[in-house]
Amino acid sequence: MGATGPVNPATGREPPGGRPGGWVASLAGLVVRAPLTARTRRELLFCLTEAALGLVVLAVPFGLLALLVVVQRLTRGTTPPNLVSWPAASDHPAGALLYLGVLLVVLLLVVFLAPRFGRGLGAVHRYLSARLLGEPVGVPAPARRGRGGPGRLAAMVRDGPGWRAVAYPLVKLPVLLAEIYAVLFAVAGLANLTYPFWWRLFRNHPPGVRLQPVPVLTPFGSFDIATFAGTFAAFAAGAAMVLAAPWVARGAAAADVWLMRGLLGPGRLAQRVADLEQSRALAVEDSAALLRRLERNLHDGAQIRLATLAMNLGMAREKLEADADPEVRELVDAAHQGAKDALVELRNLARGIHPPALDNGLADALATLAADSAVPIELSTALPQRPAPAIETIAYFCAAELLANAAKHSHANRVTVELTERGAALVLRVSDDGAGGADPDRGSGLSGLAQRARTVDGQVEVVSPPGGPTQVTVTLPMSA
Amino acid sequence: MTAAPPGRAAVTGPPLRVVIAEDAALFREGLARLLADRGHQVVAAVGDADGLLAAVARHRPDVAVADIRMPPTHTDEGLRAAIELRRDHPGTGVLVLSQYIETRYAARLLEGNAAGVGYLLKDRVADVAEFLDALDRVATGGSALDPEVVAQLLARSRHPLGELTPREREVLALMAEGRSNSAIAGALVVGGGAVEKHINNIFTKLGLAPADRDHRRVLAVLRYLGTG
Repeated sequence: MGATGPVNPATGREPPGGRPGGWVASLAGLVVRAPLTARTRRELLFCLTEAALGLVVLAVPFGLLALLVVVQRLTRGTTPPNLVSWPAASDHPAGALLYLGVLLVVLLLVVFLAPRFGRGLGAVHRYLSARLLGEPVGVPAPARRGRGGPGRLAAMVRDGPGWRAVAYPLVKLPVLLAEIYAVLFAVAGLANLTYPFWWRLFRNHPPGVRLQPVPVLTPFGSFDIATFAGTFAAFAAGAAMVLAAPWVARGAAAADVWLMRGLLGPGRLAQRVADLEQSRALAVEDSAALLRRLERNLHDGAQIRLATLAMNLGMAREKLEADADPEVRELVDAAHQGAKDALVELRNLARGIHPPALDNGLADALATLAADSAVPIELSTALPQRPAPAIETIAYFCAAELLANAAKHSHANRVTVELTERGAALVLRVSDDGAGGADPDRGSGLSGLAQRARTVDGQVEVVSPPGGPTQVTVTLPMSA
Repeated sequence: MTAAPPGRAAVTGPPLRVVIAEDAALFREGLARLLADRGHQVVAAVGDADGLLAAVARHRPDVAVADIRMPPTHTDEGLRAAIELRRDHPGTGVLVLSQYIETRYAARLLEGNAAGVGYLLKDRVADVAEFLDALDRVATGGSALDPEVVAQLLARSRHPLGELTPREREVLALMAEGRSNSAIAGALVVGGGAVEKHINNIFTKLGLAPADRDHRRVLAVLRYLGTG
């Protein structure tokens, strides 16, 4: 074996590609089998649905135009329709007003409702693509909601993704034709295949009678057949159409998906931003989870071993006879002390990695921080829901840094820590009555804080005039 | 026998019946061995808070030693079980061990009553004599607070402690840990009379009413410092 190439051990047959000219056979097999596959069925169904939907939607602008024409006819009489120049006011003043009113209403409807309508329709198209083709198209960012009446209307008009969705059914016209063609290939092809089977049923007339020829529909026009031999031409055309239908459908569907991605999706840059945001959030969450796990492992592993070691050394020390070799006693004492010192160091290290109090929530952890602080701290927390773990960790370390700063530099007598949720944001505010003059540009602590907050699009605002008081506000999203 | 260091006398009290709750088997077994070695009887050694509650209800031990972080959530189930034990089994002392000291946990654990309760770092077990002394105190209705808790409380005291002499501060700290007069005398290597004098001075300077029992004294000091 070896050099003779891969052989399927189950069947002992060589793969089709291994034989010279085998690719022709495999290609032929592919072409013949294509019309029967589930994929083809789904793609044809997609083309059919998209074609029907596209035609219906295309009817909307034409319907609106028709409405205008009708109204104009009614108000103006017999002159041919001209949408731009409305009827002269002298002819029918009331009619002109009516026409203007209808025009205005239609325009307003288009301007304000089209983006919404487009978005809704876009969702239907995306659903079809995902459901029938297995090609999910991303959802664009939701429309912004303006504030107040005029703001809301303006936001409705200034909806980029909405307008792109409106453009989709218009831009897609060529693709729509291709989709209609795909359906036509399949349906007419199947019909053509039937000609030889029913020909004799309907054409068993006495000889000599001349009958109308029967048309055969193909994508390149129709031809007439009048004899039984002609039905084989129809059959051949039908077979070719049925064999071609899957590929037309596939091409049309692919083009439609491409269009959808461009016009109904989130847009390339927006998609990139969304992807980056998501991967960054994952990275931030992941690192927080990693630190948490690391602390848990230290707690359950090294710290326990070290504590047990210290305990055993303590017992050994107690058991040493009073007249034991002083050198041995000294060594055991040193080992005992060393184990205890290592425990303290390891504990401080673990606490810096992930404070265990944080497992019970931010409010609890901040209370612990406040309890351990040398400066009296007034703490108020009002959080209806827990932020994501990574956010809790960032907020905790921000608070710890700010409290340490207040204790070290500000000579404050009183520090207030407030934790609230505003909008979808977590707001941590640390104020003190100290000396002020904190400068984020000079102190590495404050700039480090801002950097930490920025990893999740958070902000740090420092108000600290010389002479005080100092107020630092950290705003973080509720999830990374 | 070994030469007993000063303050060691209390260790050789009557044997205690002990329940241990600790999820790390290594430490649990080490602790059981240590206690058995000193003549105490470990009636149950369990790995979680539910086991602790059940074991205490069944064995009615003199003292229960509980880890704070235990399964399933590894947060504060040991502490919550300890609080429950204090409420339901006042006859059993509760000594909570932890790898971290949280001042707030101490406040939750004491809840205005320092009798038969202790809160120590796991490190303290390494100093066998002192640990056994603390265990004995807790078992007999006294209290044992970790020096680190006391240090934090002293550092952020609501009241100024500047009037106290350094020696008096030391005595105050040892008092807050729950030590008896003789233990304080042993720790500072002074006579019992000197300790009593220091204590009187402290109570006078801070304006506290003298307390008859050690655990009441602990509570008085903690209240003064702003916790408990």
